[in-house]
Amino acid sequence: MASLEPTQNKTWDLSLYELQRKPQEIITDSTEIAVSPRSLHSELMCPICLDMLKKTMTTKECLHRFCSDCIVTALRSGNKECPTCRKKLVSKRSLRADPNFDLLISKIYPSREEYEASQEKIMAKFNPTQSQKALVNSINEGIKLQSQNRPQRFRTNKGGGGGGAAANNNGGGNASNSNRGVNAHDTASNDSNSNTNGNERESRDTSGATGAAAPAASAAAATTTPVSSSSSSSSNATNTTTTTQAGTSGASTSSNRMQVDDASNPPSVRSTPSPVPSNSSSTKPKRAMSVMTSERSEESESDSQMDCRTEGDSNIDTEGEGNGELGINDEIELVFKPHPTEMSPDNQLIRALKDNCVRYIKTTANATVDHLSKYLAIRLTLDLGADLPEACRLLNFCIYVAPQPQQLVILNGNQTLHQVNDKFWKVNKPMEMYYSWKKT
Amino acid sequence: MAQNISPEQSGAGGSSKHNDDSLPIKDNHAVSKRLHKELMNLMMANEKGISAFPDGENIFKWVGTIAGPINTVYSSQTYRLSLDFPNSYPYAAPVVKFLTPCFHPNVDLQGAICLDILKDKWSALYDVRTILLSIQSLLGEPNNESPLNAQAAMMWNDQNEYKKYLDAFYEKHKDT
Repeated sequence: MASLEPTQNKTWDLSLYELQRKPQEIITDSTEIAVSPRSLHSELMCPICLDMLKKTMTTKECLHRFCSDCIVTALRSGNKECPTCRKKLVSKRSLRADPNFDLLISKIYPSREEYEASQEKIMAKFNPTQSQKALVNSINEGIKLQSQNRPQRFRTNKGGGGGGAAANNNGGGNASNSNRGVNAHDTASNDSNSNTNGNERESRDTSGATGAAAPAASAAAATTTPVSSSSSSSSNATNTTTTTQAGTSGASTSSNRMQVDDASNPPSVRSTPSPVPSNSSSTKPKRAMSVMTSERSEESESDSQMDCRTEGDSNIDTEGEGNGELGINDEIELVFKPHPTEMSPDNQLIRALKDNCVRYIKTTANATVDHLSKYLAIRLTLDLGADLPEACRLLNFCIYVAPQPQQLVILNGNQTLHQVNDKFWKVNKPMEMYYSWKKT
Repeated sequence: MAQNISPEQSGAGGSSKHNDDSLPIKDNHAVSKRLHKELMNLMMANEKGISAFPDGENIFKWVGTIAGPINTVYSSQTYRLSLDFPNSYPYAAPVVKFLTPCFHPNVDLQGAICLDILKDKWSALYDVRTILLSIQSLLGEPNNESPLNAQAAMMWNDQNEYKKYLDAFYEKHKDT
């Protein structure tokens, strides 16, 4: 009540901090502030329902935030105090709506429906009624989602520059590959991948800015400005930021653990590619999948690329990306999907590929779009073997990148992936590219 | 105050009288959603000394374990507890009981626990993790002012004697 009638009951004694404090200055240059998704998530989460804040209500005195529904129910069914700090809350009047905060959330998660759908999906998988096994699956699911949103790592092993740092980088790379290994089991069949990707990308776009805006809370409008900063600064941020989907941010710890495991135990990583050569020579229907797995296994080998090469597999790393060229350690990850309209499900090629049309690729950043297109042609020819419709042979592919979910930009053949990434992608997660084929 | 709240109550169809179990199905979903989230967080956090998992098919019934806090007479013990969540969770506290016999000033012989945060000091912010941590710390720091087990409360002051009795107690209840 004191907050309502301050003059009657007591005078406002401001602390030194309150007397001195000023609004956080709006960031107008390209400064980026990295916020860990975990801390971001805890800011945006209602501590009662553990979900994202919905119709945010803030306590007037202690400034704790809850969903409107949650805090109203809490006050009705429990003690009349702030659930967070036990400050007396006599009624709903001790709360105020916080539209600025809602605005901020809608900037970070533009589509709440999509976010909730992905959450539901995780939750459904997490249902313990399907026994412990389901639980393990759902954890994997979380790790998988996390790996999709994992920051893109440019692995630049600078000549003599500190073996320690290089080792760290490699460790990170290995961890990412082990996550990918989880992915391999149902890479192509999971539609939610694309949904969450689209969603996450947007959230990623703003998350850098959010750090700046969050303290000011009302500065939501500023969130768009710093996004346009160069990708070099955002790749710097990679070191401090782990991108995870907010809902599964818990998975980051387990991935970190993996990272440690893998780094300390390289032989296990090394052993994965061994079945590759035999796989790639078979032409069974299942083969496409196993080759995709091999793409991934070889990724895990990419610090020791000689191995891949001597195995002579037709992997992109050996497609002529110039292993001898500069920047061999600059790697870039791609999610390669069929063009949403031009490659509709009744397209001959897509029918032949069935579920295997989405590919996860890691390659050197100096590979060009032409390389990719050539790689696809050879890869698909190999994958499909006899199943390949005659008309699809020697196909030429158009490669697109999607800087916005609905906006596909066709790419010039001579651009390198590094350029494409700088120009269109910027965010630190695997670049999403699309392919469509044209008959020649 | 009452006049501020009453429209809400009438809006909720007078559910305030027995709001513990009369919330609609939709809320039931919200409860299980929250419990699932808690489960996920628990699995990810990998908290030392406590663990909890739904007991079988029902997400509203969990079994938790806590390790006796170190540097206390309970340090070598592990306790299993049951947690029963009402439909009004997290607005009402779960019913938490010791499944493992526990000789403690604030635990009765049926396993019921006397702990303020599980009664009138409950807050919607508490969850399985904080409940188990609270009970774990209660083991080492009993509230002897309001004992459920008067004998344990009386013995507490002599920790050596208490420890001896405790060991004999667990010897006796070994098979349960």
